[in-house]
Amino acid sequence: MVGWEWPPNHSGGLGVHCFELCKELTKMGHSVTFLSPFPGPHTRVEGVTFRCPADAPDDPFPGAYEIRGSPGGWQEGDIERFNAWLARFPIGEHHLIHAHDWFGTVGATELARRSGRPLVMTVHSTEYDRSLGHPWKEILERERTGVASADRVIAVSEHLKRQLVERYGASPDKVRVIYNAVRPSERLAALTGSEMIVLYLGRLAAMKGVDTFLRAAARVAPRTPAPLFVVAGEGPEAPRLLLLAARLGLADQVLFLGKISEEERVTLLAAASVFVLPSVVEPFGIAAAEAMAAGIPAIVSKTSGIAEITDSVFTVDFWDVDEFASRISELLEYPTLRRAMGDAGRRSMLLEGWEARALQTAGVYFELVTGGRR
Amino acid sequence: MRIVLYLHLHQPWRLARFRYLDLGSGRPYIDEARNLEIFRGIAERCYRPTLARLEAALEREPEFRLSLSITGTYLEQAAKAAPDVLETLRRLVRTGRVALLSETYYHSLAFLLPPPELHDEVELHREALRREFGVRPTVLRMTELAYSDELARFAEGERFRGMLVEGWEGILRGMPPTHVYCAAPAPTVSLLARHYMLSDDIGFRFSSTSWSEYPLTAEKYVRWIAATPGEVVNLFMDFETFGEHHPASSGILEFLSALPRTVRATPGLSWATVDEAVALPPRESLSAPTTVSWADQNRDLGAWLGNDLQRSAFEAAKKIGVLVRKAGAPELLETWRRLLTSDHFYYMYVGGHGADAGVHQYFSSYGSPYDAYANYMNSLMDLRRRALERLGGARVPERPEWNRPR
Repeated sequence: MVGWEWPPNHSGGLGVHCFELCKELTKMGHSVTFLSPFPGPHTRVEGVTFRCPADAPDDPFPGAYEIRGSPGGWQEGDIERFNAWLARFPIGEHHLIHAHDWFGTVGATELARRSGRPLVMTVHSTEYDRSLGHPWKEILERERTGVASADRVIAVSEHLKRQLVERYGASPDKVRVIYNAVRPSERLAALTGSEMIVLYLGRLAAMKGVDTFLRAAARVAPRTPAPLFVVAGEGPEAPRLLLLAARLGLADQVLFLGKISEEERVTLLAAASVFVLPSVVEPFGIAAAEAMAAGIPAIVSKTSGIAEITDSVFTVDFWDVDEFASRISELLEYPTLRRAMGDAGRRSMLLEGWEARALQTAGVYFELVTGGRR
Repeated sequence: MRIVLYLHLHQPWRLARFRYLDLGSGRPYIDEARNLEIFRGIAERCYRPTLARLEAALEREPEFRLSLSITGTYLEQAAKAAPDVLETLRRLVRTGRVALLSETYYHSLAFLLPPPELHDEVELHREALRREFGVRPTVLRMTELAYSDELARFAEGERFRGMLVEGWEGILRGMPPTHVYCAAPAPTVSLLARHYMLSDDIGFRFSSTSWSEYPLTAEKYVRWIAATPGEVVNLFMDFETFGEHHPASSGILEFLSALPRTVRATPGLSWATVDEAVALPPRESLSAPTTVSWADQNRDLGAWLGNDLQRSAFEAAKKIGVLVRKAGAPELLETWRRLLTSDHFYYMYVGGHGADAGVHQYFSSYGSPYDAYANYMNSLMDLRRRALERLGGARVPERPEWNRPR
């Protein structure tokens, strides 16, 4: 990926965009080498490697790739030297080149031509807009080069796509619109809106059956108004689940929050309408118990231990996607049911405090220490 | 003292699991095979052995009398699952010493629906009794022994001579259940008040080993009756008391067989059907501004309409009834009425007072009241969709009013 800035040193949306995009892509199992003019510091993201001209060992001559400016302002010749370095970058195992805006378009185009790899260019803004109609010719040229040579162009809005077609001669077929997004913490604050939330909260491990949650979501999704499905937690299954969500066409209806803080967990439980724990194996299911204690009606698999201590929960065979989907729909569809089950669940969990468990555990100690039950 | 033994025969059409995703699929709401299987099981344990003992008692004891109420849904299931049971019932009625009672065909809460639903269902049931037994009852019992002044007026309008009522302190106000009463707003309607102590001694307590009177013998029981002052003692209970609620191993069937001959041997006691009992002169009038029933400790409709789930489901059924009547398709009306059967609401009962909760769970075919509600609502939603389709062709159903986003 050819970029410019990256957190912690960034001035605009481009740095955030590259950072968040790489974070998500690596979660899905992709690996990324981020090429920028500056040596850092870079906020670390697992699966992302950083390269810059300063660490190139094979300078054709001393100073050939030397970048003298900074992300805030480059100096004369920086752009040329950055592009020259890009053009000769050893492509290795990389399948694809993705360049952002105009900085590295010339070098990326040459790299793509030389290596036979496809080129994607994301346009965040155009020189026409940035200069309020007085474009700098050289930058304009670099933008045109990128748009013309890229196999796909990503525009951050329809408005931008039209500009690219009309002013840069881009073929509409190869321009895709993918909007910018907001980061998890901001999104969490937005969750308290009116949308109904169906929540999975737990580790993303195979035994948790989160794929059943996603497949059930896909069966529920067509109803209007569509609920929002939230997956909170991290784990080894994350890449597979993200790909599954994409394949099920759920991009607009599933929110993967990753690891969440205690505070975020409380926010989520306050906002959710339905809790689902579709575990293949679940000795107890503390997450469901806590959701019920928060008054959220829960659907758990029949194998969950929690089903042994309360009737105020729907139980479903862990493999029965349609039954999970039906139970979710029923709770979304019938507000009386949602309230009655939520209230009953909360009441049943009142009696399940850790104090009682500690007393019971102490009871086991007594059995041993005093030599058996009285 | 006349003894009125009245037994209630009912089986509901239980719903199959009808998932939300099944909406529009055309799947039936009722799993007929499963219902008939349940019926056959109860026939084996209860209907056949109990009817055999009653028939034998009628042959042996010329004074023995009995009253039965048989719901329409019971008759439907009996005809399919155990025609011999129906045949035995016909033989019993032909003795002339077994009276039948009127009620709603579907064992429904139709008395809470706008007219003419209650009339229609009572009429459907009358027609079924005429067809199956060739009789026309003169006494009305409402679902779960529900009774109110309004129902008394209804009974009067339908020309019934009597109704059954729970002999509960709230309505008797200090008077004993052993008199014949009449309805204050409709004096031509006589009332028979269930003696719940003596009835529940058999119905609830008979097999309870922790009961101080355990074991209960016919001799002891008839002694209690003989010691009770009054003109009638009304023993009203579920037919399934014999062999189902109390298994045969409890000795309940032997107890039943011993009753008629023990009564014959006891001076001052004789039997009466409900028809004969309501012909006795009433001693007082009773008024019931609110509905009383024979259920639970509260004797109200709490067992069916006590919580939000039950009320919401019943209100939804009520609204859909308007559509179904408008649609005018007999099969939709029949399906809707099957959904009105009170048992469906009973299954949605949540928790409650110790003893009652156990009774509710015993009768439920669901894992939980929430399960019962969701399944019922799905079926109802599907019926609503069918009614709308019938009414408006390709019209897209709007979201029902109980289900608007908040």
